[in-house]
Amino acid sequence: MEAPARSRAISLEVNGEQIEMEVPARRLLVHFIRDDLGLTGTHVGCDTGNCGACTIDLDGQPVKSCMALAVQADGAKIRTVEGLAAEGELTALQQAFNKHHALQCGYCTPGMLMSATALLERNPHPTEDEVRYALQGNICRCTGYVNIVEAVVAVGEEHA
Amino acid sequence: MSPTPSNSLLQGASSSTVVETVEPVVLEKGYIGRSVPRKEDRRLVQGLGTFFDDVRRHGMGYVHFVRSPYAHARILSIDVSKALELEGVYGTITGDEVAIHTDPFFEMSVEPGGNIKDYALAVGRVRHMGEPVAAVCASTRELARDAADLIEVEYDALPVLVDAEESLKDEVVLHDDAGSNVVWSGVFDWGDVDQALAEADHVVKIDRLHFHRFSSTPLECAGALVEYDKGTGEWTLTCNHQMPGVGAIWMAPALRTGIDKLRFVTHDIGGGFGNKICLHPQYVVLCLMARKLGRPVQWTEWRTDQHTANAHGNERTFLDVEVAVKADGTMTGFKVKALDDCGAFPRYEPLGCIIWAQVTPGLYSWRNIRVDFTQVCTNKSPVSPNRGYSRMQHLWLTERIVDIVATELGLDPVEVRKRNYVKAEQMPYETPNGCVYDSGDYAAALDIALDLIDYGSIEERRVEAASRGRLLGFGIGSTLDSGTNNFGQSTLLNPDLQFSGNNEAASVKLDIFGEVVVTIGTVPQGQGHETTAAQVVADILGCSPEQVNVRRGHDTWFNSHAGFSGTYASQFAFTGLGAVKGAAELVREDMVQLAAAVLQAPVDAIELADGFARIKDGPEEAALPFMALGAIVNANNAFLPPDFNPTLNHRFVCRPYFGMVDTEKKTGQLTLTYATQIHAAVVEIDPETGDVEIVDYAAVDDCGVRINPQIVEGQVHGATAHAIGAALSEEFVYDEDGTLLTANFYDYHVPHAMDMPPLKTGAMESPSPVAPLGAKGMGEGGGGGIHCIGAAIQDALRAAGGAIVYTSCNPAHRVWSMLQDPEATRANVKVVSR
Amino acid sequence: MVLLREVGYARPATIEDAVSLLATHDGARPLAGGQTLVNVMKARAAAPDVLVDLVDLDELRAIGFSSDGLLEIGAMVTYTQLMGSSEVDVARPILAEVASTIADVQVRNRGTVGGNVCVSDPTNHFPPLLVALGATFTIRAESGERTVSADEFFLGVYLTAVGEGELLTKVNVPPSSGAGDGFAGVTIGKHGTYIVDAAATVSGDDVRIALGCVAATPVRASAMEERLTGSDFSEDSVRSAAVGVGATLDPPADVHGSADYRRRLAEVSAARAVLQAARRRRAK
Repeated sequence: MEAPARSRAISLEVNGEQIEMEVPARRLLVHFIRDDLGLTGTHVGCDTGNCGACTIDLDGQPVKSCMALAVQADGAKIRTVEGLAAEGELTALQQAFNKHHALQCGYCTPGMLMSATALLERNPHPTEDEVRYALQGNICRCTGYVNIVEAVVAVGEEHA
Repeated sequence: MSPTPSNSLLQGASSSTVVETVEPVVLEKGYIGRSVPRKEDRRLVQGLGTFFDDVRRHGMGYVHFVRSPYAHARILSIDVSKALELEGVYGTITGDEVAIHTDPFFEMSVEPGGNIKDYALAVGRVRHMGEPVAAVCASTRELARDAADLIEVEYDALPVLVDAEESLKDEVVLHDDAGSNVVWSGVFDWGDVDQALAEADHVVKIDRLHFHRFSSTPLECAGALVEYDKGTGEWTLTCNHQMPGVGAIWMAPALRTGIDKLRFVTHDIGGGFGNKICLHPQYVVLCLMARKLGRPVQWTEWRTDQHTANAHGNERTFLDVEVAVKADGTMTGFKVKALDDCGAFPRYEPLGCIIWAQVTPGLYSWRNIRVDFTQVCTNKSPVSPNRGYSRMQHLWLTERIVDIVATELGLDPVEVRKRNYVKAEQMPYETPNGCVYDSGDYAAALDIALDLIDYGSIEERRVEAASRGRLLGFGIGSTLDSGTNNFGQSTLLNPDLQFSGNNEAASVKLDIFGEVVVTIGTVPQGQGHETTAAQVVADILGCSPEQVNVRRGHDTWFNSHAGFSGTYASQFAFTGLGAVKGAAELVREDMVQLAAAVLQAPVDAIELADGFARIKDGPEEAALPFMALGAIVNANNAFLPPDFNPTLNHRFVCRPYFGMVDTEKKTGQLTLTYATQIHAAVVEIDPETGDVEIVDYAAVDDCGVRINPQIVEGQVHGATAHAIGAALSEEFVYDEDGTLLTANFYDYHVPHAMDMPPLKTGAMESPSPVAPLGAKGMGEGGGGGIHCIGAAIQDALRAAGGAIVYTSCNPAHRVWSMLQDPEATRANVKVVSR
Repeated sequence: MVLLREVGYARPATIEDAVSLLATHDGARPLAGGQTLVNVMKARAAAPDVLVDLVDLDELRAIGFSSDGLLEIGAMVTYTQLMGSSEVDVARPILAEVASTIADVQVRNRGTVGGNVCVSDPTNHFPPLLVALGATFTIRAESGERTVSADEFFLGVYLTAVGEGELLTKVNVPPSSGAGDGFAGVTIGKHGTYIVDAAATVSGDDVRIALGCVAATPVRASAMEERLTGSDFSEDSVRSAAVGVGATLDPPADVHGSADYRRRLAEVSAARAVLQAARRRRAK
């Protein structure tokens, strides 16, 4: 049985790419993603895991990366907002966000997209209530959520 | 509706207020007025935006601030030695160094407030919990945080002031240099309120109303990456300061350097709402550290610090309100004592003492108003502009007055508003203190809101809700978003201030390959400036918005800014777009002249359309693409005659014209445009718990011409969400030790997706006769949600004791208290009738 | 705040190894979903020297039935897992119902039942619920395994019967067998933290009511339970039985409510939880 260590060599898949790196045990996953991997699309908005700006896909589920340690992601598969649009071709959801004006400052947007993408993968035609429930962990201070919900519902309807 | 020019704004204007009308150019409605999808989105939806914390510099260090755990204390000693021993730590800075290397920031107010000494770090004394005392820089974020724990600060606690009325007594004085906690006081007196009260049929007296502390809490916290160039003595701040013009005015003298030595660069900003205006103290610390350590330094504010120690919105107590009302419900005037609590340092906030005067009468036509205004310091977070800055508080007062008058005198809240609203036919309307409401039809907007909310069914819904054990209530909030400030208003605060007018700059150029490039002095934090500016330029130059590249953000080196540049105070549609329009028109002129010369046609035969300069109805070949024009001027210009020098590159300063401010009568034209917001809410209260649910909500906005209706509507949604949060849960609460009890998003609850009620929106367009495009600034809103939700709660409680809503935030526990003891709130109000 | 101190990290492969690590290292704490612990460490309010990550302990993720029909929920079972479990749905659906109101989907994907009870924050959802359901808690130590009742498990704020060097492995919940369960309260915003909550179970001969947020640990509203013996559980009966619940309490006062307000909410929540439970009870 290995002894506890202050750092760990981790191996994980990020947006389809295999990453190997030694990280301090105390490093938050969000800082690993932003500072060590240079993927700055995932944002930090609060200190207590409320705002959801740091939301990523970890092993197929949306999670808040500010409440996970990088070492906990050893062996995991992660997707961040940068991994949504393949080769710069925007997903239907990203296009809907543009069409419906679902973003203003854009700071909560990556987190919103990750949560909404996860929803649509499980529930392709969500109702407005289901969308709000899925986005309850993502705070926005600009839009009042109106157009965000509209955009997600619209994507569901388009593919009905 | 196209903008309607008018010849004269005022009939019988007082001599102190002269307004010049700008004949708005009637533009072909191409892209202006269309909901063009935003250009910003492409990068933002891919997570490819650049927020300042995304930027890296080689060799950079991360800064963590050591902050005071006391609300009020003397600093006895600071020992940084252990921190400096930690490997990876680059250096530290303390208040003593700041006091040596910088001068205190300039203070806006007159004595005594003007004597306050405000440095970038606490010097000798801390005056609010969370006040920065020292800073440490290290190679990683974690190490900076660890090092901060090793800095030892010894404090000697002092008595704490967390109440403005207590502070007035000056028993505990926060700033010895001022000698008093009073930052400023003054009496504003227009008309004859004593006469109005004497002649009134009813005088409604309200002892106390309180507007609470909250802020917009933008999701991205404040911060900067600062680099110092030793060779040139210049600093570059890659940051999110939303008003760099004013930031530089504060910082440069403090750093004993020229304004041009400070280069502000902003890219994408995650919301501002006014909360990113007073960042100069922390930025000065970063400048000093960058210079001292010889490396770039970066600081990102933590959420807890933003709540504790950045910017709270105005907290204002209204005392001894007296309202004069005629038998028919006409309100002829009111007087009030206003006590503003600006926290530990006034900074920008003395302006809050007078900015409310932009909307002195609210939407109403009363002419006799007296406001006795005092601002004091307390041991709380400094106050700084927050969405709706100072006007929102005053409009809440006027709306509370109207609702309380209606309740007490048994008047219908809709009727009493319509009776007292300024009427459409009175526009442009000069208020008792010389401001001019440019356009609007408040009664019509109210009717739209009532229609959206199905006002006719309210009583039926009230009965139905009662059958489910719920108390239903309906309320209205009518506000104005006053935009495009006259900084001359600051002379009402301090006649020695050398500020007046306003300005914004932009440049437009047509480049060598025909690219249209625009730079603006504004600092967008989500308002879509790149898109709306492109729409305006596209319409003027006859191309499409896709062909117009609006450079992201603000950069001092663009040289497209002016003294007041920034994004604040609901003015982009006027000054920002006015500057863009002006520059684009100059480029257009060049293009037309150049095309005429090349195509050998008269100037008035040339049109710009579809990305070409061509002869109107001419042959197909008689058309020059933009690329051709750009190429000629930039690379192939020898054949042009010597006296003809088109540059296709112009900078324009939009300088709105205001009359002068009369500092004695405290009158003058303080802003140019007034957008209208009428909000209406229906709430249901659970009488067992006090829990309030919004079951219906309508927001009607009239901001004149809407350059991009979808963007305008987005602002309405956002402002409504802010107001709902403030009305029901967002409150900065202090205990008696000066500890902020709501420093994170658990306790300071902001609306999440499930908290938002169904929102109905409506729009009207009463074009502004004074704005270059007929478009008024509208980004702040007026806090309508706060007013209408409070009114709806009061209406709901009529059936359960009739409590009077006396404060702007009413979470469940407060509503419950009003249900338990309505008399306590009713005792606040007296009616004296003839 | 907001960045962790240096910490040691271990990821054991077996429960035995996990317990051994917890017993060997002073200041070692188990890391489950991290939805509370990581935040606490960010605030530097607690700074364990060693984190023992339970992520590889698949045994702790199991949901099943014991031989005597108890619903056994592994300590590492997440709220999302509870919500998707057919065993939970059949045996005690209130667990999933309450789980579905905790915070948001991101938190539910990581947060665990074990974490929720071991943190023993007075505002957590599961402590009062499990007290009302009469759950038991299985704790593994190096010396062996023991099972503790709900009334003995919660000892104080952030304090449970799980001691140093010990690990909660299972929460055992009696199947409802026709009993009705209810949960009611007032939160800060939708699906936010509770200001006061109450859980209730009504079966043919038994009422159990547990109040949360009013003391360091869940409080059984025993006097109200007694008043409801043989009750018809009509609206009037339940409400009158709830009167006086508040008087026995000494709840905290804070930004979200005074002590009096919490007393009142306790009465209202208890009544509402009981009424909900009674409505759901299956006739024998």
